[in-house]
Amino acid sequence: MKRKAVLMFSILFAIMMALSGCSSSSSSSSGSAKNEILYWNPFTGPDGENMKQIVNEYNKTNPKFKIKNVSMVADDMYKKIPTVVNSGKGIPDLTIVHAERIKQFVGNDLLTTYDDKLADYPEIKAENYVPAGWDIGEINGSRYSVPLDVHSFVMYYNKDLLEKYAPNALDDNVITFDEIKEAGEMSKKDKITGVGITWTRPIFLSIYNQLGGDITSDGETPTLNTPEAKEALELLKGLIDNKIANKDGEDPGQLFKSGKAIFYPEGIWMQNSLKDSKKLNWGLTNFPQISPDKIVNWTSSHQFVMFKDENRSKEKTKGITDFLDFVRENSLPWAKAGQNPASLVTLENPEYQDLPQSFLVKDPELQKSLKIFDYKYNGFVAEEIDKLVGDAIYGKLDITKGLKAAQKAVEDKIASNNKK
Amino acid sequence: MINTGVNKELNMSAVIEKNSGKKRFNLSPYLYIGPHLILFAIFFLFPTLYGIYISFTNWDLIGDPEFVGLANYKEILFNHESTFYDQLHNGLGNTFKFVLFTVPACIIVPLLLAAGLNTRPKGLKFFQALFYMPTLFSVSAVMIVFSMLFSVSFGPINHFLNVETNWLSTQPYAWITLVVVTIWWSIGANMIIYQAALNGISRDLYEAASIDGASSIQKFFRITLPSIRAQILYTVVITTIAQFNVYGQPLMLTKGGPTSSTSVLLMYIQQNAFGSGISIAGIGSAMAVILGLCIMVVSAIQFFFLRQRD
Repeated sequence: MKRKAVLMFSILFAIMMALSGCSSSSSSSSGSAKNEILYWNPFTGPDGENMKQIVNEYNKTNPKFKIKNVSMVADDMYKKIPTVVNSGKGIPDLTIVHAERIKQFVGNDLLTTYDDKLADYPEIKAENYVPAGWDIGEINGSRYSVPLDVHSFVMYYNKDLLEKYAPNALDDNVITFDEIKEAGEMSKKDKITGVGITWTRPIFLSIYNQLGGDITSDGETPTLNTPEAKEALELLKGLIDNKIANKDGEDPGQLFKSGKAIFYPEGIWMQNSLKDSKKLNWGLTNFPQISPDKIVNWTSSHQFVMFKDENRSKEKTKGITDFLDFVRENSLPWAKAGQNPASLVTLENPEYQDLPQSFLVKDPELQKSLKIFDYKYNGFVAEEIDKLVGDAIYGKLDITKGLKAAQKAVEDKIASNNKK
Repeated sequence: MINTGVNKELNMSAVIEKNSGKKRFNLSPYLYIGPHLILFAIFFLFPTLYGIYISFTNWDLIGDPEFVGLANYKEILFNHESTFYDQLHNGLGNTFKFVLFTVPACIIVPLLLAAGLNTRPKGLKFFQALFYMPTLFSVSAVMIVFSMLFSVSFGPINHFLNVETNWLSTQPYAWITLVVVTIWWSIGANMIIYQAALNGISRDLYEAASIDGASSIQKFFRITLPSIRAQILYTVVITTIAQFNVYGQPLMLTKGGPTSSTSVLLMYIQQNAFGSGISIAGIGSAMAVILGLCIMVVSAIQFFFLRQRD
């Protein structure tokens, strides 16, 4: 009896060891492999294929360090980063992070700078990148990141409906909220929605910034409870109350795709989802503006960063920079994913110039309209804005009260973070 | 995560107590429970204890946790001014509401279905499979399907009812939707348990009752229910614990809205510890510990009341 039990236990034990053996060997193979650059990115959507294409093309050039492309869901990636960097095992050599996150990582001393590593790469410099994307990586005089793209939240419009309801709106290349209101008033008689309320965060932030507001006044204090924020919310609420925007719960994407909405504010990266609707005749323009004098397009950026790793050799770092230089010159596949590459080399490519989203980069004036909301506590602000805007503009929450609560919540979160 | 750990711990203690009674040290029981014990320690016990420790610290998941004593608990329990106090208050309140709304239905509906199936109707296997199937689907798949069903302008439900109800972002419809979805999704597990239990009741009892002239309702309350009391106790406790840990349904269907009225505590815990901002893991852990304590207290009360009748 006892012998049997011991035998069974030892079998179970052996199986367990084998299982755990498997897992540990697979995790150690990632990261510490000698001639491989472990490259983490959050591209799990269709854009992941385009990134793979760039990586494959680079690996075909037979570099000394090949790139190992690992895509994972952004949330998971951001959860994993502190753990691996703390443990020192399996740290990715190169990682794509969102621009808004960089300050936080720098604050926690997790990033290696590129300062002394770019000496042999004179072309990786400010002049060769879109300023909004490049500037974000420079913190306290050090360079912590190199941009891959600048992706903006703009507006799609239905060309046929625009012709019908607002034929002159695009004369100055800017569609204003007044023009949307006018078109919406006319179209609602035909049961056509004027404008879709899509992702409320960039919609609100764009308007807020047009009015002169920003999420922080000095880089430390959050500024959400301001007259400008109130005005921005009231403007949106006005669109909804006058039935120019879609009703609560209606899917603006469906409305636009089925030709029942004139204007559809969305990210440039959403183009692929529209290509399925063959009948839809759409165009791309700036996010709607209050006045054509100050144009703001909410923008974020994917940035290449290197997390600190004591074991990363100088040679490997050189391999990383080689790859970045390759991406700088070969970003076209990324543009085809619907993004605007940050590298200006792509701009010379006629194929790129034909892509709808390139209008933002072609015109140097419009390059200035790309606004990245950069703030150490951007994450806290984002959480509160997401909670606030939808409820406030659909009349479920008093705007003044909501702004006050949001401001307080961000302040409390910051305070609890600085308790140390 | 923490809660399951606490619960398992309770189960284990009974086993250990039994063994400690024996005088001679006997290795074999430990060999049997050994593999599970190791896994349990790695995946439940250690994370639970570590989580409790974190609730006494101030930690952003990156640096070293800094011990702050009871400060986190003070903040979320007693500081009326604090956002985190509001979060705990609102989150725990909504969680309790959800438990109250769903648990009775999650017991009664499967019980009635199981009783129905126990009469061996035509197509028994088919219905059994049909009712059990939702349980096999992942929460995200179910929620995507239901968000389409309840969609304002394109949803079949509004279409058939010929109304324009905004099911997902106005009250009380948001609660109704969440409860309906949860019941549909979780019928299967309890139903299977009841079916097995009902099969075990001797037919003689029913025959004797028939001879005595008992109606079918009397039979249900006098024979069926008392016979499966142990299973009902088990399912009530397990279902309550499961519903306390509600997260996926409100996250994906209502996104906690409208105006945070369906934001459950786990959503706040997740956002504080793993949100898009810098992590406030200490506060998140403290909230998780409080949720765990609530579940333990409620389960203990349930045990007490349902056992008392013996």
